[in-house]
Amino acid sequence: MQLITIFSLTFPAFPWFGMDIGGTLVKLVYFEPVDITAEEEQEEVENLKSIRRYLTSNVAYGKTGVRDVHLELRNLTMCGRTGNLHFIRFPTQAMPRFIQMGHDKNFSSLHTTLCATGGGAYKFENDFRTMADLELLKLDELDCLIRGLLYVDRVSFNGHPEGYYFQNPSDTQSCVKMPCTLDNPFPMLLVNIGSGVSILAVYSENNYKRVTGTSLGGGTFLGLCCLLTGCETFEEALEMASKGDSTNVDKLVKDIYGGDYERFGLQGSAVASSFGHMMSKEKRDSISKEDLARATLVTITNNIGSIARMCAVNEKIERVVFVGNFLRINTVSTKLLAYAMDFWSKGQLRALFLEHEGYFGAVGALMELLKTTEDP
Amino acid sequence: MAFNGHQHDDESIDEDETPTKQPRSNKEMPGCFRNEPNNEASASAGRATSDRRSSNATPRQRIDSVKKTRPPFPWFGMDIGGTLVKLVYFEPKDITAEEEQEEVENLKSIRRYLTSNTAYGKTGIRDVHLELQDLTLCGRTGNLHFIRFPTHDLPAFLQMGRNKHFSSLHTTLCATGGGAYKFESDFRTMADLQLHKLDELDCLIRGVLYIDSVVSGGPSECYYFENPTDPDRCIQKPYTLENPYPLLLVNIGSGVSILAVYSESNYKRVTGTSLGGGTFLGLCCLLTGCSTFEEALEMASQGESTRVDKLVRDIYGGDYESFGNMMSKEKRESVSKEDLARATLVTITNNIGSITRMCALNENIERVVFVGNFLRVNTLSMKLLAYAMDYWSKGQLKALFLQHEGYFGAVGALLELLHPS
Repeated sequence: MQLITIFSLTFPAFPWFGMDIGGTLVKLVYFEPVDITAEEEQEEVENLKSIRRYLTSNVAYGKTGVRDVHLELRNLTMCGRTGNLHFIRFPTQAMPRFIQMGHDKNFSSLHTTLCATGGGAYKFENDFRTMADLELLKLDELDCLIRGLLYVDRVSFNGHPEGYYFQNPSDTQSCVKMPCTLDNPFPMLLVNIGSGVSILAVYSENNYKRVTGTSLGGGTFLGLCCLLTGCETFEEALEMASKGDSTNVDKLVKDIYGGDYERFGLQGSAVASSFGHMMSKEKRDSISKEDLARATLVTITNNIGSIARMCAVNEKIERVVFVGNFLRINTVSTKLLAYAMDFWSKGQLRALFLEHEGYFGAVGALMELLKTTEDP
Repeated sequence: MAFNGHQHDDESIDEDETPTKQPRSNKEMPGCFRNEPNNEASASAGRATSDRRSSNATPRQRIDSVKKTRPPFPWFGMDIGGTLVKLVYFEPKDITAEEEQEEVENLKSIRRYLTSNTAYGKTGIRDVHLELQDLTLCGRTGNLHFIRFPTHDLPAFLQMGRNKHFSSLHTTLCATGGGAYKFESDFRTMADLQLHKLDELDCLIRGVLYIDSVVSGGPSECYYFENPTDPDRCIQKPYTLENPYPLLLVNIGSGVSILAVYSESNYKRVTGTSLGGGTFLGLCCLLTGCSTFEEALEMASQGESTRVDKLVRDIYGGDYESFGNMMSKEKRESVSKEDLARATLVTITNNIGSITRMCALNENIERVVFVGNFLRVNTLSMKLLAYAMDYWSKGQLKALFLQHEGYFGAVGALLELLHPS
């Protein structure tokens, strides 16, 4: 790693990236320095300048790359430099094109380390080397997740809290989003809902364990939705789900009991058997794609909530933080999770959410590159 | 005087005269001899904690009390679930000539109809291989039959009850399962029958403990799998459930209930999941166009779920993700219905396994018994569960299965008829 010494600080060479290559999405964070001196600018090599311009003057890249401008962290100080932190994502399927671009822009000549986490850091390691002559520094995704999360919470979201919860989650009328910070964050149960789900019990920044996981995550939701409704993207699937009624698809307690199952406190409106009505031909013929999308969303979400709750009880942790891109623009799920945690625990558990949802792994990877704590 | 559908209280019958086989005392329903003539009719609510102590009464006293409390035939136990109705029927084989003469016509006809057929209407089935022969219940000897039909066809069943004038037999119909509540008024209006409603989990536990204690000879009621993932070496081995407590009981029907059982009358419902047998069948019907459980399983046995699921290989490590490959259009077009059925089965089963494992850990219980009709003719799921329990717990947890799978609720209901708690 080439080091440039300015004053008494040492920091790695630009550009500064952190990458999280997941099963479905690649998350990229890019630090754009805004304190470049005239001298520095003159010295700057052409391709570095071009990378900076390309990334910061566009909000879309190719057909599927997106920069989440609303998530940009402005005037951040990292490693003695001041700049903006940008949040970019694109489907993992488009990785070959990304690597090709790295090759075309001669990224390897910049001799920077590319810190990458997520499973794809292993899967694509070879491709980076052969197609773009780039060496990845592979990092553990859970280490990066926790590090990134704690960092963003500390520096806050442009002066606002990074975290939030729902007040009155059971009341659709008065359910309201309330900001909060993670002060005294430990212990916390961290539920990372990406393609799959990982559940971690976090006792301190460096002391955590992976409690369990489930294979029924965001990937299942999208995959099943595509199969059942013919939709093609996450956004389409959510759009359909927002219009559907899952009770036409799911068998509820009242469909079996005719009412509540009082003995064990199961309300008639609780789902007894997800997709349970679908064994009946008449029911299959009477439901819509939107109903199916909704039922898929509700089933996956409730299953995650149920498992999270069991872990929280098992680990004796009251705060459950949900992250991951399954929750991106997915208020149906966030509210369901908030409700489930609150209802089934009789108010003992609280569900928390973070604005930067699925980007913490990439932030953590960037921090590993800088190997420094942020300036206060 | 005879057991022909009238109210009991027929002390004139001398037990010794009936040409019954010698009761196998170790197989008799233990509760039969525990009843006091004046039973307490304590309603079970919340956690059942009533004690059932064995009686010290002499044989003569016991027989008297049995006669006093023995209900009239026919003896049924019914479990009306979300998808299937499970019915157990006790066919007496020790009917004396006298009794037979006195027997009312419709009772005889019911007995003949049930025992001389193995299929009823279009969808009713008697699981002959599960029949328990020469059972002694409440001083009578006979065979216990296991019958099932879709809950969807309950109206037809009620109609039959009406046609056969079942209500004139004045028997109590003990029923459990959600349907006992949901269809209570239908029973009354369509067939003039009053249901005695029972809690499904009480009945489940009671039924499990009873069946395991009476099955002898032939395959053991309880079994497990050795080497579940090795198709060449995987075998079923018998297991004795004596000293069964504590036990984690996982009931996989339309939905799933998980119970921690500490003693016969002390248990709690730990949790449940709505992703159960109903989900498997519903999703399969949607994804493959199949219409029955048997079809769905058939397809699943031929499919390959790895084309559908993103494997460890595809990402890099940790849990694989179900249906993850289906986001890609080309992949969607390359999988078969069989693959989809398989993936659905594997997903649902592994999810249940995962949740069960967490409960076992939470409750500190090492023995897990899986029951419910999701496992009927479903060795694939049983082996998956066996493997999951063993592998993820590094051998600490053992997955156990029972031959009578989904019938325990109905058995428990029958027991309640004969020995009200």
